[in-house]
Amino acid sequence: MIDLALDRVYKKYKLRSKGNLPKRWYRGFVRRPIEMWALQDVSFEVKEGEALGIVGHNGAGKTTILKLLSSITAPTRGQITIRGRLAALIEVGSGFHPELTGRENVYLHGAMLGMRRLEIARKMDSIVDFSGVEKYIDEPVKRYSSGMYVRLGFSVAAHLEPEIVLLDEVLAVGDVAFQAKCLDRVSALRKNGGTIVFVSHDLASIYRLCDRAILLDRGRMIMDGPPRVVVDTYQKMTFGDHETPPESQLDTGKAAECLSVAFSAPDPLDAVRTGYPMIAHLRYRATTTVPNAIFRISVYWPSGYLCAQLTNESSHFGLTVEPGRGEITFECPVLPIRPGLYRVDLVIESDGREVDSRQHCSTLCVEAGKSAMGDFYVENVCSIRLDSR
Amino acid sequence: MTPEDAPITKTAVVRDLERFVSSQPPGLAEWRAECSSPRIRIIGPPAFSFGAIFSGLRALIQYSDLLWALSLFRLNVRYKQSFLGWAWAALQPLALMGIYTFVFAHVTKVNTGGAPYTIFVFSGLLPWLFFSSSITNAVHGIVAYPALLTKMYFPREIIPLSYLAAGVTDFLIASIILAGLLAHYRVAPTWNLLYAIPILVVLGAFAAAMALFLAAVHVRFRDVGLGLPFVLQVWMFATPVVYSLQAVPPRYRNLYRLDPVAVAIDSFRGAVLYGHAPDARILTEAGVEMIVGLTLAYAFFKSAEATMADVV
Repeated sequence: MIDLALDRVYKKYKLRSKGNLPKRWYRGFVRRPIEMWALQDVSFEVKEGEALGIVGHNGAGKTTILKLLSSITAPTRGQITIRGRLAALIEVGSGFHPELTGRENVYLHGAMLGMRRLEIARKMDSIVDFSGVEKYIDEPVKRYSSGMYVRLGFSVAAHLEPEIVLLDEVLAVGDVAFQAKCLDRVSALRKNGGTIVFVSHDLASIYRLCDRAILLDRGRMIMDGPPRVVVDTYQKMTFGDHETPPESQLDTGKAAECLSVAFSAPDPLDAVRTGYPMIAHLRYRATTTVPNAIFRISVYWPSGYLCAQLTNESSHFGLTVEPGRGEITFECPVLPIRPGLYRVDLVIESDGREVDSRQHCSTLCVEAGKSAMGDFYVENVCSIRLDSR
Repeated sequence: MTPEDAPITKTAVVRDLERFVSSQPPGLAEWRAECSSPRIRIIGPPAFSFGAIFSGLRALIQYSDLLWALSLFRLNVRYKQSFLGWAWAALQPLALMGIYTFVFAHVTKVNTGGAPYTIFVFSGLLPWLFFSSSITNAVHGIVAYPALLTKMYFPREIIPLSYLAAGVTDFLIASIILAGLLAHYRVAPTWNLLYAIPILVVLGAFAAAMALFLAAVHVRFRDVGLGLPFVLQVWMFATPVVYSLQAVPPRYRNLYRLDPVAVAIDSFRGAVLYGHAPDARILTEAGVEMIVGLTLAYAFFKSAEATMADVV
């Protein structure tokens, strides 16, 4: 069964602007609106029980799609079909009124999401319990912290028992414990056959949560496929812009800069796998001689904590980089990192000062290899010896 | 020969005919099933259509609890942090009654048909204030919380309608004062008082139509909110609120019949103060105007609703 279908959807926004009319006295009255196509010819379907991720740069049309799906606005052309009860977790808690208490807001917000009064009354305890703001539920929400606000908002929406959920970066708010709770809720929903549309800049969670992903670029859908391939393409799109910077950017004052980073297995046809060798290639360009250069490739967990770092500092391998382009290779005989998608930052230092740093510039995608239950795969040799009596 | 190339055989035509003649026209059952289940929704480009009224009403019934909750919320928030609280609902018409009584009963005389001017003007002010303040609040209320329009979806007409419901409550509170005044001036109630109910339904529905239409325009053009106080002031003096319709020269009186507010206020006063039954024909006319107006306004609102989030 198809739960969601977009059929050749276009969405146009009119930006009120004076445009380039000649300067006349009537200019204040006659405005030629500038047309902006937020979506052009977008068609896709989401099957029942499927989790679809949407990736793209800012302004690519991700939020517009969510707004169309949640009926906040209507398409300019095309048709959208929705089957089932839909809950949009877009900026949850934005319908709260600061003067009302938490409890009153739950009733109001629940009603705005389409719940009946009896239904809310029945679920009230569970909603309050899930949000973790029991103590303050009868206080006006204007006294709430922003985290409590969002938690209560998410909690109401999560109790809608939706068949289709739209998620927009909501998981990025709240503390780690609440995020884990939200993820549990979302995966429970998936187990029960719920459909999910997920918009995020956190590519790791797209990779983890979704079965399929689409890539948007300036309102057009340019790719539809497995998350890994789509995320990869998106990464290349982003990073590719830096790969060959125009000559004008040459003298940015930086003595050296990172151009790209690539991770591969020794066999170029195979993927990077836990417990197997990995090779990292870091391409750079230097404009002057850089003494005592240190290169760092930092790999981050999806949660944002540093997971590992590849650097020539640890081997006391002092490098003097000559002007020109080049490549640094890090060889790692056994990759201890668990399967998943990791964020990668690059840094070049010289004499202890930072020369260039690139954040979020790439991802490291690790596929399943040797089984690892904890945070890391620990290389080991196992043997057995019988006690001699 | 592929099936497409085949000439239309008699059997095919007969089959279609049979299907058509048989008790259920083809597709009707599916169409009905689809309409009765709110599960499948199809969203297309906005368009003005009367079909939208039915789907809109169905959604409105689904969200009726929200209308209730928001109306209560309006009343709660309005009198929050105010010392006099609910007394404001009665204070405003009472103050206006005082000043109009001074002007039109002491400075200059207005023919009231024998009734004391105090209750004469109060019985006109009540429905008028209900009408004007409901519309004003609805128009300003729809843009008061833009986040409601841009961040979440519910049938938007609930916002103006909730202000209307709050206006009804204010009206009921002020009616208690009216009842007290009537008792004070020893105006005996008659059975014709019951006509006030259909009269107020007509007035309420007309206020709803105006509120929906003006609110929908106001989202796009804020000129509505700016011009509204002025228009309402002119409208009030074009309506027999502070004077009686009997005092209007007969050749102008037919013009008043075109204005449902004037008809409703004059009939309301007639029923409450004088115990007159309203003119059935005039009231029917106003009722028909109200139904047509409300239908058009609702269809217009529904077509404007689709892009409200983009322009608010």
